[in-house]
Amino acid sequence: MLYQTQSLVIATMLFMSFYETRSLALFIVALITLIIKVFVAPQFFNALIKKQVLALSASTYLNTPLTVTALAALTAIAHADVFAPLAFLLPLNESLLSLMLAAIFVSFFLIINRKGAISQMLGILSLENCIVAFAFLAGLEQSPSLQIGILFVIFIWLSIATIFVSMMYKHFGTLDVTTMAHLKD
Amino acid sequence: MEPFIIITILFAGAFISLLLKQRSIIEFIAAVASLISLGAAISIAFKVASGGTYTPSPLFSIDALGAIVLLIVSFVGFLSSLYSIAYLRAETKQNIIGFHRVRQYFVLCNLFLATMFTATMSANPVLTWIFVEATTLSTAFLISFYNKPSSTEAAWKYLIINSVGLLLGFFGTLLYLTSVQSLPEHSLITWSLLTANAQHLNPLVAQIAFIFILIGYGTKMGLAPMHTWLPDAHGKAPAPISALLSGVLLNVAFLVIVRFKNITDTIVGKEYTQNLFIVFALSSILIAAFVILTQRNYKRLLAYSSIENMGVMALGFGLGGLGIFAAILHMIYHSLIKSSLFFAAGNILLRYRSTKIREVTGMLSNIPSTAIVFMAGFLAVVGLPPFGLFFTKIYILSAGMQHHLVVTGATILLLAILFIGFLRHVTSMIFGEKQPELAKEKESVWLVIPPATLIIIALLLSLYMPPLLNSLIHSAVAQYSL
Repeated sequence: MLYQTQSLVIATMLFMSFYETRSLALFIVALITLIIKVFVAPQFFNALIKKQVLALSASTYLNTPLTVTALAALTAIAHADVFAPLAFLLPLNESLLSLMLAAIFVSFFLIINRKGAISQMLGILSLENCIVAFAFLAGLEQSPSLQIGILFVIFIWLSIATIFVSMMYKHFGTLDVTTMAHLKD
Repeated sequence: MEPFIIITILFAGAFISLLLKQRSIIEFIAAVASLISLGAAISIAFKVASGGTYTPSPLFSIDALGAIVLLIVSFVGFLSSLYSIAYLRAETKQNIIGFHRVRQYFVLCNLFLATMFTATMSANPVLTWIFVEATTLSTAFLISFYNKPSSTEAAWKYLIINSVGLLLGFFGTLLYLTSVQSLPEHSLITWSLLTANAQHLNPLVAQIAFIFILIGYGTKMGLAPMHTWLPDAHGKAPAPISALLSGVLLNVAFLVIVRFKNITDTIVGKEYTQNLFIVFALSSILIAAFVILTQRNYKRLLAYSSIENMGVMALGFGLGGLGIFAAILHMIYHSLIKSSLFFAAGNILLRYRSTKIREVTGMLSNIPSTAIVFMAGFLAVVGLPPFGLFFTKIYILSAGMQHHLVVTGATILLLAILFIGFLRHVTSMIFGEKQPELAKEKESVWLVIPPATLIIIALLLSLYMPPLLNSLIHSAVAQYSL
């Protein structure tokens, strides 16, 4: 649900860009983004959860207080002087760019702190959304053809990762990645 | 024209193979597609050697280093296709895989080669990123090829770690694009445009962006501490895929890093990127040295050796000067030798049916041809003369003697540890106790020719560098030593 909302914001930003430029290519990019990220991706997750009778695991390596502390620290780092040049890429959006940078760090943390395979997938997709949002706010939008290429790769990635999650469940009976320990030798 | 031929033939090969039901035709298509790609890559290399950067269309641009990587991809790719045919036939004979797996293998293998070629030839950094990411996607199912829990685990690790790494690399790439302030409509930002506009990039943004690039693409290249996926993936993939992953794919990622290094150097000076390279290089060599000492699996042993060699290449670029020349040579030799070693590892696995070092003894009696190739590969990869890696390591160390004495000293010590660790394992495998029941069957000549060819060519190139390669290497050194 959160990922869906996040993706909807990204798609809305792209539609706004289309509204300003009236470029048909940008409309297509926004539409594909909406279809893949807002409708198709959640369907993939729902199908996976239904098929394997899974519960979305939110278990983490760090406990809640430590997780919250880490999130606060990452947000502070994103606003630190060292990353100020990134926030000033487009001074008009300075605070939003800092916020997006914090979101990038938090998504990265989400991937490494979560034990569930689906949570890791969501973390990666969220990281990609945050980078796209950062690029949009910094005025670094790519040509529509490249954006479609990126979306295509994300879609293929999503399909492959979903298949792997099914394979993992068949092999291990769980999606907790800490139970995977067949690579010791 | 050639880039289109390469991409079309490989993608078409993959698509047609998907529809076919005759194994021999699928094998034929794979061999022919990779042979045509080799021919086209040689043609590109000649054009680059004679006329500088070759730009056949706005989408493709190949510089001297790109041409060297293309030659590596195509040559190792061709031999890997030939070896794959014999290797998969042997596996089918042992009832390890069936026709569907074979078809899946060749479809994905063609796609893998196509994505590596395209990533190398792309003129646009974002397009390069798309195709480097596509290499991850096309190989994930090749790593989980045997559908065992361990291979699925390795593939998942590979998919997640590389995807995260590459997203960070993507972020770094986008930051570099801030240097281009205006762009004509319907045109793409190219590598050369980025270099030409480098002075417009904020130096602090360039420094941050390069860290993201180094971590992102460094993950794909197997630099420590982002290397953790590499031994698992290379250890679990079928031998010819391990050869391509180790001998070829890592170079593609390295190519991208040094392109961004070149751009960063023009803005913030060389010292910044050189220091980062040295840190990642030393940590890679350090981790590989100590893990190799205690390694129990020969495929993972080779994978850690790749991490070490990526570290040596990064060290060459980090030390600069003669080190850059040596690092480029090192890339060529390492690709040939490591691919040969992985092919030999495939032969060992076919005969001994185990990847555990302690279960492989008496290779010289049981599989003598493979044992000789494996021994030669070992001597070559640890850098004994007359193999080229001896000279490249000497050059890199001499490049460091003047200004980085501690780094050079530490590297010498670590390389000595690596040699001891490797020697201990290889001698037990080659000269250990004979296993008579394994010596009955003759080795297939088709399984020995590809690794032997690679070792012989590595040796020949150590003694004589053809004018084409020589010219490309010198152009690449001139371009990346700016």
